[in-house]
Amino acid sequence: MNISYNWLRELTGVGLKPRALAERLTMLGLAVDGVHERGDDFLLEIDLTSNRPDCLSHLGVAREVAVEHGGALRMPAAVPSKMEGRAGDFTAVEIEDEDLCPRYAGRVVRGVQIGPSPEWLVKRLEVIGQRAINNVADITNYVMHEMGQPLHAFDLQKLSEHRIVVRRARSGERLRTLDGVDRELQTQMLVIADASRAVALAGIMGGEETEISNETRDVLIESAYFDPSSVRRTARALGLHTEASYRFERGTDYEGVLRAQERAVALICELAGGAATEDAIDVYPRKIEPQRVSLRPSRVEALTGLRVETSEMRRILSALGFIERAQPQTFEPEPSLRDGVLEMMPAGLHTTLSFTSPTWRVDIEREEDLVEEVARHAGYDGIAALLPPTASAGEYQPREIKKRALRRQLTAFGYDEAINFSFIESTSGERLDPIPKFATLIDADAEEDERAFVTLTNPIIEGMTRMRPTLLQGLLQSVRRNFNHGTRNVRLFETGIVFAARKGEGELPFEREALALVATGGAVEEGRAGDARELDFYDLKGAVEAAVDAMGLPALSFAPVSARHLRVGQAAVIMTGGQTEIGTIGRLSEEISAEFKFRQPVYVAELDLAALLEQKETPALYTPLSRFPSVVRDLSLLTNRRTSLSEMLAAIRELELENLSSAQLVDVYEGANLPEGKRSVTLRLEYRAEDRTLRDEEADEMHTRVVQKLAEKFGAEQRV
Amino acid sequence: MPEGASLGDPKLKAESARKAFEQEFERFARFRAGVSAESGLTLNSAEALERELSELRTRHTGKKSELASVKKLIGRVAPEERASFGQLVQQIEAEITRGVEEAEAALLAFINDARRERERIDVTLPGRRPRRGHIHPVTLVRERIEDIFVSLGYIVEDDREIETDFYNFTALNIPENHPARDPLDTFYTTTGLALRSQTSTVQIHAMQRRGVPVRMIAPGRVFRRDTPDATHNPMFFQVEGLCVDRGITMAHLKGTITEFVHRMFGPETRTRFRPSYFPFTEPSAEVDYSCFKCGGRGCRICKGSGWIELGGSGMVHPNVLSAVGVDAEEFTGFAFGLGIDRMCGLMYSLDDIRLLFENDVRFLEQFN
Repeated sequence: MNISYNWLRELTGVGLKPRALAERLTMLGLAVDGVHERGDDFLLEIDLTSNRPDCLSHLGVAREVAVEHGGALRMPAAVPSKMEGRAGDFTAVEIEDEDLCPRYAGRVVRGVQIGPSPEWLVKRLEVIGQRAINNVADITNYVMHEMGQPLHAFDLQKLSEHRIVVRRARSGERLRTLDGVDRELQTQMLVIADASRAVALAGIMGGEETEISNETRDVLIESAYFDPSSVRRTARALGLHTEASYRFERGTDYEGVLRAQERAVALICELAGGAATEDAIDVYPRKIEPQRVSLRPSRVEALTGLRVETSEMRRILSALGFIERAQPQTFEPEPSLRDGVLEMMPAGLHTTLSFTSPTWRVDIEREEDLVEEVARHAGYDGIAALLPPTASAGEYQPREIKKRALRRQLTAFGYDEAINFSFIESTSGERLDPIPKFATLIDADAEEDERAFVTLTNPIIEGMTRMRPTLLQGLLQSVRRNFNHGTRNVRLFETGIVFAARKGEGELPFEREALALVATGGAVEEGRAGDARELDFYDLKGAVEAAVDAMGLPALSFAPVSARHLRVGQAAVIMTGGQTEIGTIGRLSEEISAEFKFRQPVYVAELDLAALLEQKETPALYTPLSRFPSVVRDLSLLTNRRTSLSEMLAAIRELELENLSSAQLVDVYEGANLPEGKRSVTLRLEYRAEDRTLRDEEADEMHTRVVQKLAEKFGAEQRV
Repeated sequence: MPEGASLGDPKLKAESARKAFEQEFERFARFRAGVSAESGLTLNSAEALERELSELRTRHTGKKSELASVKKLIGRVAPEERASFGQLVQQIEAEITRGVEEAEAALLAFINDARRERERIDVTLPGRRPRRGHIHPVTLVRERIEDIFVSLGYIVEDDREIETDFYNFTALNIPENHPARDPLDTFYTTTGLALRSQTSTVQIHAMQRRGVPVRMIAPGRVFRRDTPDATHNPMFFQVEGLCVDRGITMAHLKGTITEFVHRMFGPETRTRFRPSYFPFTEPSAEVDYSCFKCGGRGCRICKGSGWIELGGSGMVHPNVLSAVGVDAEEFTGFAFGLGIDRMCGLMYSLDDIRLLFENDVRFLEQFN
């Protein structure tokens, strides 16, 4: 809302300097965003909250400023200089759809001379950013900015039968609006019509055919109250937002209709000549009852902590236009105990004040609204700053501490935390297998409409209609973006919600917190250019394991798997407790790499973080340190390449050797000097007895059993 | 006894041993006062010299040395001269030992210095460490906000991101025809659900779960249909705060926010509460804090006003309390909503907040 400083000053007589005035308005809730010098005037830009359409005018703002001085305003004169005839002699007004138009007033000025507006008027409109057109149009615009009531001027002679009908548009009806656009109307839109056709979009814009022109002699000034939601719907539907619709859809003063009309008519007589009718045709079939609200003065302090005298409350509310209805009613307050002390309310607070709300205040509904009115004008600055009295124990989200450990560990392993939008393109992410929990819901082999994607009806970025079923799509796009910027070493992780629809109408979709990682490029060292080596599967796996370890959760297990988005032979399912599948890890498949134009290996993992965090922490348990030395034996085996380490270790465990204290991988070797399809695996076995020093022969006996078992089960040959 | 003379005078023999030593020692004698830089020695030649020197010592003082055999001649020395003979032999032995040891010490010192020099390292080379990753700036700010409010006795809560009309609007006193419900402003799914447009939804869930009194914050992702530009994203992060109890007033809101701002931006930061409007609070207040960059004098960050908007706040609307069955006469409360991305953008002077969700490593690397 643009406000002219000089104009406001004329209305209030308040002599505050522009910046001080801006400060005052801001602290009253009318936030002034900017003060700009405009010739000998200043423009104040007010960022109005949507509840205060009454301040979409100079008068409305002036009312706020004047409260401090008792609310007196210098209302401009509004008596037409020349009046003759009754409005009914020249026109007629009929409201067909009073649900959308509760009040419509028409008044005629005959014999006007259309021409340019006087300089003062042009200048005033210019200060607030309005362009001058002609005297009559400028006056309606001026009065709207002065009093907040949008007005419209018709060329009376161009109205068929010189009369007004307020009705819904007919099916297929069209109207060429003042902006020159030919519009097709819908039957729920309210129009102003004459005897034969629509001549204006009610509360939004007039029509071209009945517009004021230089030849216009007689004008009909419309001042009305339209249903706010009707105006909003029509303006939205047509994408046509005007100063008038802006005010009507927020709510205008239904009792200010005649006042503004009279003011405009008086100005027309003064500036464009002509004679006004003595009255207006005011169709107002059902009087709208103003809101009644009551206020218990004690509630002001109870809600705001401000101590305000009841007399001061009355003064503020009365200056704002509230009318106190009857004598206050006293009530017997319940004694209130605070801090064990019986609080005695001061005299005057045991009452209930009862008010009729001013008709321009559409935002006032209940006691709390009055409390705010009092507090605004008493000043929020006077509210003390106290911490709430009793303390309670603070608490993080149950899993936040673990998630913090996760984030810290992954960053220690070189992963940057990413955050992507929750929506992705509608065609993307289909070939990325989701977390196991969603696997049956989002079956990539199912028909499109069978798949449980959550879809948006109104994306803001074109095509981004799918709520992500996987975090990987976003991360892979982030990798692509980094490659585009010339960054080839990228390690990212993200935690966030993934979505899958639940069958059944109105069912809330599944929301599941997931963790995803992506790694590609070299293993970068801080402070050194060049990459020591290329990252591989085990770098990513190590990061995932370290993160789980940092959260104090039991170790994960991994097994080969085939996944749609992972390269055959470099894909694993991730399990907790040795059997519950919670995600996948591996090298991105050739197909998806090609889709993203990746020319270097990219490793990805996605886990069901919620499932991971459901596990119990592994408790730290003390085991006494052995006092006896161990016997360590390394074992090199030539095995089939597809015999996995975990299979071999499992086979060793099956032997249940009491004195085998650990079996660990030393090294895996594959090379040209080994037979095709074979590899060499070196294990280190440690034998130890709890109660004595183990003899070499005992260790040898166990070791031989291990070698035999591996030979029998996998055909592993011991290398010497 | 004439044979004694023919066997040679032991003293002469001792003198001859001394001479032999001195002759051989001559090339080492210059090191006795220390090995100078000009000596021309290298580590290798010094090590060789040191070995030779040690052999030389064995040769002249060892069991098979000339001096050792001279010692055995004491029996042939006249008894009255034995004392002086003994003294002479001892003196020669001491001379040899001293000479060798001094030269040896000097050589060893040189050798040690040379070895250390050879193993000198460039301590300014980078330490050995893998590249570290970085926590997202939004997370950093969120964690800090959580820490502050947890220490003030708040419980951290979160809930769904896709919500029903009831939680996103109705329970928050957002009327049927309010613009916020318009599909121009709020995202909807094909099944008519809304992406939560504020974390105030969590207020409702939290009060339903925990009842009152309650003190909680809800940081989280929210969605509004804003076209991405330098200052907008269609998804952003917000923290909602709620404190409901008996006797809570706006003074407590003011005190809590002021305390938060002091801890977040420093104790010199001032706050300003000005009337505003939100459907879910009444009375409502917009909170500003004095610009952390210029301290309130006015600069680019605060657009010359000296104040930066922190967020909306107010006393929980009675309709919101009654939506969750709380008696608005018995309980009052305050609520506030702060923009995490906004704070983040201001604290780190971001000129384009779209960067927050582009995950450009060059951007992410800048935060700790």
